[in-house]
Amino acid sequence: MAFSPLVAPSPLATAPLKKSAVSGPANPVQENESFPQLQGGADREITEQLNDEVRHKYIKAKKLGEGTYAVVFLGHLRTDPSSFVAIKKIKVNTEYKDGLSMDAIREVKYLQELSHPNIIALHDVFSSKDQNLNLVLEYLPRGDLEMLIKDSNIHYGLPDIKAWMGMLIRGVWFCHENFVLHRDIKPNNLLIASDGEVKLADFGLARSFADPYLNMTHQVITRWYRPPELLYGARQYSGAVDIWSVAMVFAELLLRVPFVAGNSDLDQITRICEAFGTPTEDNWPGVSKLPNYIPADASHLVPVQGRDFFLRQFPTAGPVGAELLMSMCTLDPRKRSTAYQALRHNWWASEPRPTNKEDLPRKAGGTKKMGDDLTRRGGELDDQFKNAARQLDFSAMKA
Amino acid sequence: MAANYWASTQRRHWLFTRERLADIREGLKEKDKVAHTQFPLPDQRLLNIYFSQQLGRLGKRMSTRQQALATAQVYIKRYYTKNEIRSTNPYLVLTTAFYLACKMEECPQHIRFVVGEARGLWPEFIAPDVSKIGECEFSLISEMHSQLIVHHPYRTLSDLQTELTLTSDEVALAWSVINDHYLTDLPLLYPPHVIAVMAIIVAVVFKPSSQTSYHGHPAPIASAMREGGMNILAALGDKGGNGPPERIQKLIAWLAESEVDIKAVIECTQELVSLYEVWEQYSEKNCKELLGRMVKSKSLDK
Repeated sequence: MAFSPLVAPSPLATAPLKKSAVSGPANPVQENESFPQLQGGADREITEQLNDEVRHKYIKAKKLGEGTYAVVFLGHLRTDPSSFVAIKKIKVNTEYKDGLSMDAIREVKYLQELSHPNIIALHDVFSSKDQNLNLVLEYLPRGDLEMLIKDSNIHYGLPDIKAWMGMLIRGVWFCHENFVLHRDIKPNNLLIASDGEVKLADFGLARSFADPYLNMTHQVITRWYRPPELLYGARQYSGAVDIWSVAMVFAELLLRVPFVAGNSDLDQITRICEAFGTPTEDNWPGVSKLPNYIPADASHLVPVQGRDFFLRQFPTAGPVGAELLMSMCTLDPRKRSTAYQALRHNWWASEPRPTNKEDLPRKAGGTKKMGDDLTRRGGELDDQFKNAARQLDFSAMKA
Repeated sequence: MAANYWASTQRRHWLFTRERLADIREGLKEKDKVAHTQFPLPDQRLLNIYFSQQLGRLGKRMSTRQQALATAQVYIKRYYTKNEIRSTNPYLVLTTAFYLACKMEECPQHIRFVVGEARGLWPEFIAPDVSKIGECEFSLISEMHSQLIVHHPYRTLSDLQTELTLTSDEVALAWSVINDHYLTDLPLLYPPHVIAVMAIIVAVVFKPSSQTSYHGHPAPIASAMREGGMNILAALGDKGGNGPPERIQKLIAWLAESEVDIKAVIECTQELVSLYEVWEQYSEKNCKELLGRMVKSKSLDK
């Protein structure tokens, strides 16, 4: 079991949501003894009261973004207008007929248990009058990494990249140490707090490691960040899938464009082969048995790229950085670095030192970006690709 | 199985002392004494047996994983620490707990399918309208403060299998003892590893002669535990004792070195023994009638 040295697990004060359905007409007043101060409340249900208390703790200020699945508001504490929060209202009513979506369930499920400086914090959960689920999330006003990567007016260097990567990998390490796979790591799920801390957000595709031999779906992770084993249809996989995504984020931070940006799943695997080498039984034992494996054209085998390639391709990373990147995008997931190994790499100890998080480059307009990021559904690419990438079917039966 | 048990919401918010649990239930009862006199229900454990069997039927029709059924049972227990059972439709709670647990354990079933199957089993108590389940799900999540991850003893059992060189028979038996512990309050009282150790001790020490699907036929294990039962307890108390055979001594030595709370393990064992004793009074018909009468006369199914 993992304890992050950085974290003192703080009890999240979450309050119950509104009561409904199950109670019949002859409904007695509820008693909840863990909140003795409330027992006086005669005829109203304690749980409902509690919910109201939580709801009244916050004021919804303005809408930041709206997606098909959620609306995000900027909010603040009633008692302290300067302490901001993001309130993510999940549209339950629209999906009432199907129950709560897996995305919402997963998000609540994991954020309730995971508490770490590099993972977005869930402060509270409450229900609003119209029976919608509201998640009170940490306010992250400085946008996301995608925004910084894309803005050519922003200049950043290796020390900044090292700081961001360090925070990202610590967050991923904590997930894996707690047996959680994130399964949707990409720059616009990496949000930035006001102090510059990078936070892993959007747990809508996350799940616990499966028990051995149980299958999981391979339709996860936004395509450009998806590892070859998932493109080949592997149903049993590990934290290595997230590490591949981390490597792709690393490469993108260095190049300021996505490194392998396929426009279909097939194109994606082709580009991976061209860039990193063709997976074969020699460099990846067992690969040919994966369900969607496509045997490579013998005349067109690309050898697995070595250090020279990474040095040439990513000169800014420096030799030690290139080596770390290479270890995280090894084709065979069993040989890929784990988050723990990545954190032990000597890149962190070598020059240059990472930038202090307070001094990292920043950009205005982050609040709006947070709104967009938090309303998006898992697995989606940018807007222009929305329909193409939206192959995920969450309705049921996916594991 | 996710996240860290020691930092989990289960340990922080859903672990009670016996006294506390009794107080909570007394509190619920105080709120509606009339209903309690009007609608007597069987012993909680007998009701749990009934719920578990009904859940089992539902799960079987959809071939669900055991772990989802276990999670559903824990949800029902948690829910009824907040709500008096006499103000709910237990069949609706059961179906919803099942539906939510399937999602949580990554084996989701479509809500229509669940409602369809539940209606097949209990047509009088489940409405065809799926939004009932949707609403009840919302209520369930809210009453559990959206703390949804449940840590089960099954994983500890598989982990200890090699360390304690358990035979596959022993593992199978320990597994079904774990299944049975969901019929008691133990999941609300003790951490999962204590339960797992208890199940292993029961399996290794008592080894009831016939263990073929004794779910529903607790007699063999109950009597085995009554007969041989006390030596393990004695042996645990007196480590220098020369009574039990080598294999058991090995287990006891391991226990002594581990930091598992032995007193808690013994309490769990006793709880299980008393479950098997009370089981002999179980009557499915009786549970069904009492629940049916309660739901119908209070029109809780509406």
